[in-house]
Amino acid sequence: MENVIETIGLTKQYGTQLGVDNLSLHIPQGKIYGLLGRNGAGKTTAMRMMLNLIRPTSGRVLLLGKDYIKQPDSIYRKIGSLIEAPGFYENLTGQENLQILARLRGQYDKNSITHTLEVVGLDKETNKIFSNYSMGMKQRLGIAAAIMHDPELLILDEPINGLDPIGIHEIRKFLLTLCREKGVSILLSSHVLDEIEQLCDIIGVMHEGRLIEEVDMMELRGRNRQYIDFFVSDINAAALLLEQQFNCMDYTVSADKLIRLHSCIDKRGEINRCFVESGILVTQISIYTEKLEDYFSDLIGGGGIG
Amino acid sequence: MVNLLYCELLKLKRSKMLLISFLGALVTPVMMIASAVKMHYSRPDIIITLANLYDDCSLYTMLLFGVIVYVVIAAYLFSREYTEKTLKTILTVPVSKLTFIISKFIMLFLWIIVLTLISWVSMFILATLYKAIFGLSEFSIAVAIKYLGEMLLGGILMFLTISPFAFLAVWTKGLVVPIIAAAAITMGNVALSNEALGALYPWTASYMLVRGDIAQTGYPYPLSIGLIAIVSIFGFFASVVYFKREDVK
Repeated sequence: MENVIETIGLTKQYGTQLGVDNLSLHIPQGKIYGLLGRNGAGKTTAMRMMLNLIRPTSGRVLLLGKDYIKQPDSIYRKIGSLIEAPGFYENLTGQENLQILARLRGQYDKNSITHTLEVVGLDKETNKIFSNYSMGMKQRLGIAAAIMHDPELLILDEPINGLDPIGIHEIRKFLLTLCREKGVSILLSSHVLDEIEQLCDIIGVMHEGRLIEEVDMMELRGRNRQYIDFFVSDINAAALLLEQQFNCMDYTVSADKLIRLHSCIDKRGEINRCFVESGILVTQISIYTEKLEDYFSDLIGGGGIG
Repeated sequence: MVNLLYCELLKLKRSKMLLISFLGALVTPVMMIASAVKMHYSRPDIIITLANLYDDCSLYTMLLFGVIVYVVIAAYLFSREYTEKTLKTILTVPVSKLTFIISKFIMLFLWIIVLTLISWVSMFILATLYKAIFGLSEFSIAVAIKYLGEMLLGGILMFLTISPFAFLAVWTKGLVVPIIAAAAITMGNVALSNEALGALYPWTASYMLVRGDIAQTGYPYPLSIGLIAIVSIFGFFASVVYFKREDVK
């Protein structure tokens, strides 16, 4: 089995609106796949269709190499999921909520539940009922429910929502361990680009229901370029010098006397000296590396993720 | 299914609804005794029997208070999965939608039967106390047992005629609409309880069936039973079909 999740022309239509439009995702085994997109891009709808919570208008979903419609029982027992805000019975404790899920799965084991609560850091307040949980605790319980049965595949929609920075770090570390050491494949969506950047091996970018690009993070990192910003007193003279003295054509200028170089990065010292010796005042030099956010903005246009 | 039912019971742990429903089941017997005490002082010439108490208890449960209490329970059982957003957690276990909704109906049935038993037992205990203080005619276990059968049959018929309210709870995903509908149905019960037309109104007809009053209305038994069956089947069928087809959001 090469792909743990494969969607073929997956489409969901609400009236005349397309929530998900002809989505063909390929999520390889043993990798962490990050689904990126602004609010309303169709990430959650796509995940819900994968989990058989929403009926697709057309298209197919293959989970763990099998059609989920034909063998839902055997497939979903190997999958853990968390979709948006976790839903649990408010009058029950975390342990009791997990007990319900374990019993329904026919795999009730008190020790396993206790261990899972320890893993997500909810073992201290075992008597607290779900309605008294903080948002972070609720999210942790959602993650506990997703991992308690040692799934082969995790589908997590915004898993770090509501977690504090330490919680985010812990969950990130935990997900990485699950993937690298236990070979669990993970599909996750997140608003936090930094998290996707640190966690994922592959990203898929969705916009207006469509998959715009699927790209390997290694390839993306290789693609990301550095650039230097020079703030100078005479932008025309600086541009002329760049072209004549350094044969550097890959630059952009802006009205606030900023000249941005995308090449000749290693010659920045000489360029600076040349500017100064030619009577151009250099007030600031900064070196930057394009990040996922820049890539994402370029791809879908407009601001960041909603 | 056993696991599902166990989980349905576990979901009620610390639930206020459980206590509220038990108190609800006590309301009618307490009111009957209060009415008997008032009668004892205002009309001492009237002889009150255990059968009178059970008759009135059955009347008020099946036509008035019980309808509201059982609809609230049905609406709570079905709608809480939406309000607490637990469907997405349960169905991805996975649990089949059909099995899940059947377990809900079984739970509702068990709950109604338990409340019926609580009403019957509490009526008997209160009647025993009343007998000890004021005296009660024709008081015997045999009479009480006869009414146990009637009340259980009433509970079963009420379960059947409450299924449309379960559908309303699934459809509207809340408590409000089923409760308003139950209030409207109860008004119908009040209007028709002494009318022959009551035999054509499934919720009143259930009571008349238990009391053996259908014959007096002039309508045939099969017609009343058929109407109860239609309402019941509609409720179950609509709940299952809607729940199975609906997207979980």
